[in-house]
Amino acid sequence: MAELHIIGQIIGATGFPQNSLFCKWGVHTGGAWRLLSGLKEGQTQVDMPQTGDMAYWSHPIDLHYTTKGLQGWPKLHLQVWHQDSFGRCQLYGYGYIHIPSSPGQHRLQCVTWRPLGSWQDQLAEMFVGGGPQLRSPDLIYSGADRYRLHTVGMGTVELELCVILRHFDRYGVES
Amino acid sequence: MTSNNPAVFLLMVNGQIEAADFPEYDDLYCKYCFFVSFPHKLNSQITSKGRGSQSLVWNFPLDITFKSTRPQIVVSVYGPDTFGNDVARGYGAIHIPFTPGKHTKPIPMFVPESTSRLQTFTSWLMGRRPEFTDPKVVAQGEGRDVTRVRSQGFVTLQFNIVTKDMKKLGYETTSEHSAATGLTRTSQKL
Repeated sequence: MAELHIIGQIIGATGFPQNSLFCKWGVHTGGAWRLLSGLKEGQTQVDMPQTGDMAYWSHPIDLHYTTKGLQGWPKLHLQVWHQDSFGRCQLYGYGYIHIPSSPGQHRLQCVTWRPLGSWQDQLAEMFVGGGPQLRSPDLIYSGADRYRLHTVGMGTVELELCVILRHFDRYGVES
Repeated sequence: MTSNNPAVFLLMVNGQIEAADFPEYDDLYCKYCFFVSFPHKLNSQITSKGRGSQSLVWNFPLDITFKSTRPQIVVSVYGPDTFGNDVARGYGAIHIPFTPGKHTKPIPMFVPESTSRLQTFTSWLMGRRPEFTDPKVVAQGEGRDVTRVRSQGFVTLQFNIVTKDMKKLGYETTSEHSAATGLTRTSQKL
């Protein structure tokens, strides 16, 4: 059985309207993959940068998967949230990225988007905050049923991941 | 040094904690430790103090070899506040890279924030800022979702990595091999 190690961190996020951000992340795989060790989902700390625009989390990711097939290659999905000084949380973006399939160090940038409601929702959002959210987070990484979704682009999340493959060449897989 | 059936791989790290970039603070020292999941091994050491206007240079050497683990280095930076007490100026952690070669990595440093304004003021007055009691929290992902932090600087680390027996155990850490075969295939077609 081939093995995949994903070792790295979610470095931080930039390009969002406000800076006090945290991120909920998770890794989704197909049926042939099995997680041997590591946490496949989590939530980062809330960072308020003192200088500059980028919020830094340095959240470690250390996963060890074993697989019987290539389908369902792991996807990392993220939700970026903003926490204000009163402790209220507001969604700032959804995004996903495939874990790179070639071994080595990779610096990745994940773009994010936010669902946009009707003009009444947007007006209310301007005064009160909040905003529409997806009912089920599956839609972040699946392409089905998206055509009715009206969204706006938000900032970028930066990640640095080191991918280590083991025994893939025994099964004739080239990467 | 030859082994026919290696059971473990070795990861040798040479490097240095090069410099720090804290725009608002001066006169800082740092402690580092290596965090390994199983078993726990911590080595901490205090470096010399550095003085500088924008960039504090430490040039502090790191030299360690690991056996079959996924190590991280946790760096904590401390410095004096207005009253002369030593307070934490930043914590940061990074995984040691697995790919052989030279790597230069700036790591962002953050400090935990107090939960209320009153607590921020009293801790500024008393010199007892919130700090992490256990450097494990910085290295791990669990338990961080309730902490509020403020990022306020960077520390640059330089690593030179050498691995032994990773290929023999079946691990591929770089894609140079596939890139090389790709090149030869196209040249044969021409």
